[in-house]
Amino acid sequence: MTTAAENAQVAKSPSNGGGELKNWLLDRAPFLVACVMLCALVAVYGVLRDGVFSLAELNIDTAAALTLLLAATGQTIVLLRGGIDLSIGGVISLGTVLAATQMGDNPWSATFWVLLVLAAGALVGFVNGVLITVLKLQPFLVTLATWSILSGAALIVLPTDGGALPTAWMAFGNATWLGLSSSVWLLAGLICFWLWFRRSRLGVAIRATGSNERSAFLSGVSPLWINVATYGLSGLFAALAALYLTTQTGAGSPTIGKDYILPSVTAAVIGGLSLFGGRGGLIGTTIGAFILTIIGNLVFVLRVSSYWQPIVSGVILLIAVLASSTAEKSARNSLT
Amino acid sequence: MADLLTVTGVIKHYGGIIALSDANLCARAGEVHALLGENGAGKSTLIQILSGAVRADGGAITLEGADYHPRNPVAAQRSGVSAVFQELSLIPDLTVEQNIWFRREPLSVFGTVRSGELRKATTNLLEEFGFPGLRPSQEVRRLTLAERQIVEVAKALARDPKVLILDEATSALAAKETEWLLGLARRFAKAGRLVIYISHRLAEVRQIADRVTVLRNGATVAAYETKAVDDETIITDMLGRRMDRLFPERHATAGNRVALQVRGLTVGHRLVGVDFDLKEGEVLGVGGLQGHGQWELFQSLYGIGSCKGAIELLGRPVAITSPRKALAGQNGMALVPEDRRNHGLLLTKSVRENLTLSVVSRFTRFGLTDAKRERALVDEMITSLKIKVGSPEQIAGTLSGGNQQKVIFGKMLLTDARVLLLYDPTRGIDVGTKGEIFQLMRDLAAKGYAILFYSSDPPELVHVADRILVLRNGRRAAILEGDDRTEREILRAAMIETQGAA
Repeated sequence: MTTAAENAQVAKSPSNGGGELKNWLLDRAPFLVACVMLCALVAVYGVLRDGVFSLAELNIDTAAALTLLLAATGQTIVLLRGGIDLSIGGVISLGTVLAATQMGDNPWSATFWVLLVLAAGALVGFVNGVLITVLKLQPFLVTLATWSILSGAALIVLPTDGGALPTAWMAFGNATWLGLSSSVWLLAGLICFWLWFRRSRLGVAIRATGSNERSAFLSGVSPLWINVATYGLSGLFAALAALYLTTQTGAGSPTIGKDYILPSVTAAVIGGLSLFGGRGGLIGTTIGAFILTIIGNLVFVLRVSSYWQPIVSGVILLIAVLASSTAEKSARNSLT
Repeated sequence: MADLLTVTGVIKHYGGIIALSDANLCARAGEVHALLGENGAGKSTLIQILSGAVRADGGAITLEGADYHPRNPVAAQRSGVSAVFQELSLIPDLTVEQNIWFRREPLSVFGTVRSGELRKATTNLLEEFGFPGLRPSQEVRRLTLAERQIVEVAKALARDPKVLILDEATSALAAKETEWLLGLARRFAKAGRLVIYISHRLAEVRQIADRVTVLRNGATVAAYETKAVDDETIITDMLGRRMDRLFPERHATAGNRVALQVRGLTVGHRLVGVDFDLKEGEVLGVGGLQGHGQWELFQSLYGIGSCKGAIELLGRPVAITSPRKALAGQNGMALVPEDRRNHGLLLTKSVRENLTLSVVSRFTRFGLTDAKRERALVDEMITSLKIKVGSPEQIAGTLSGGNQQKVIFGKMLLTDARVLLLYDPTRGIDVGTKGEIFQLMRDLAAKGYAILFYSSDPPELVHVADRILVLRNGRRAAILEGDDRTEREILRAAMIETQGAA
């Protein structure tokens, strides 16, 4: 009797087991598709242009991608939580104009304003988190409102593009060490941060909350803390993006932030992040950001109208979304 | 021995509804204490209070002689009270081990989770309690309902509680896993701790509980030593009236016309070449060990997922490729799914909206809904199914499990479906409502509906179905008729000759 029952149990297991590798692949399908697309784009780019596979090119492309990637890092954290942050546009605009008008040439004042911009970014995130939790408002609407407010504030500080950054500040943006630019080192630092963050208790809690909010709260995750931390980090990274941007442009712009809001979501989704929260990571987002950058390069090399850039980005995004939904579907079918 | 946990005169209101009026419970360390009562009797509310999910409005609770009023689940867990809820609290995108230790992960000096230690702790825990077939690294969203239930138990045990509350913890489990969990509860109690056990299965309660406390209408009505009381008394206490029969009388109502003919139905390798006929007016039971193709059978008939094989509805070949097609037309099929909280009902919508969701077109004129006609249909359903609601506008999620199930039946009956697919319709429902649902099934059969009925509880098949189709490894193992319809025969067909069939 017992053996019969056990046999019956064993008999049903082949359908569950065996598919371990398949499951592993399915889980990572969107990310793998992004990797393949990046390789393909780089290959095409390499054929069209000489010297693509060089350190110089890596430095240039990283510099081109890093502002978006920093903005997308915050967005990735928020999306993993199952939210969205539009206010990063406002933080970036305000950050660049504050830096370009206030830093001056005195190192002390420069340091002060760098810290202030970072603190302001985090503060905006705190406010977003508090509003979303305490007033139980939609993240989309709350951050839409804070974006609008900050954009206005940026225009008051500096109505048109302009201002100036300390020369030392600009020099930092263009410095190199061991053949790699400061941008590449920043990227490496960012990846290290992520490797730490995703394994930290906060990182796990953010992902868990995005996966199943109610369960996470029942298990003792505080809703206020999780939202303040999530949006606070997002604001902080947006401020970082703003500061980095000024090292590249050497000026402030009260309207530039909006160019990073939706692309930050695009980069994350291309990299395999689920908009329903809980699944994805910064490595994917990095791939996504580089895909968007290389598309820009290709449009330039092919000497076609720059309007082709959003068109190609859109197609790539569709492929990415298709990959994740296909993977999701076959995962569901293999389950029940 | 002194009582480990005492509950005295606990009261809880939800708005105007009284969930608990006078709950009392005395439970000792070292015992399995069963909590019995119909759905809506207040069991869930009481254990939610004990586990910190809600707070009592009045009354006294002590744990180890000290006042105990946990402010939230985490506080309750710190005091040593862990609950395994029916409504699972797991996080789908985390792995089994991450779920078990969530918020209590071992951390390194850098504040990161130490995965080696996490794995070791998980393996130790799983080994200590002999957990059946769980891999620590598997993501929870890939697990079946039964496996998730088991992880939930592991999560509760990992907190090393003094009081373990099991709420219908076996309802999703197959026989073997149930046996394991009952053994675990006994062992846990023997170690000097307390298990509060909630189940609708009296046989299980008899098997493991030292004492039982019976709740009715929000108040404790009786407490017994399990050995000193018979089933009849307990059921009488639960119902407050004598229970004549759980199962209705069964008259053969099957007609001659075949309502649903299935030939060679195949879904991957989980359902292989299944044939059967279902006549009008017939209840065809579907049995077998859990996970042997029953759900695949139901979902392919309802057009979820892809399948091969021939299906004829009332002599007409059909290709059902979506639920919409299954429901369509005069002679469709309608399904009552297993996970009614997620799949069958819109919990945040009203009873009225739920009932009429599938049939909006029946009272739509020129693209506008006719509220009067809708109201009439809804009232008729509520009356004929005896759904206990304050008003048709009551939110479905606030109904008891049995009444939610009746709403799903109502929704199904409002469509023109003639073939009803009932997948474990009485899972987690109290005895009284169960009886009503069985009666309803027989009444529907008498009206000519053809019913395909899966139940995880074999006695239900034996007493309600006209014939029983037993599946084993996704194949038809037997069709039992007449005197062959016994639990023994079902089990025999489900388990024997496994090698040959596999």
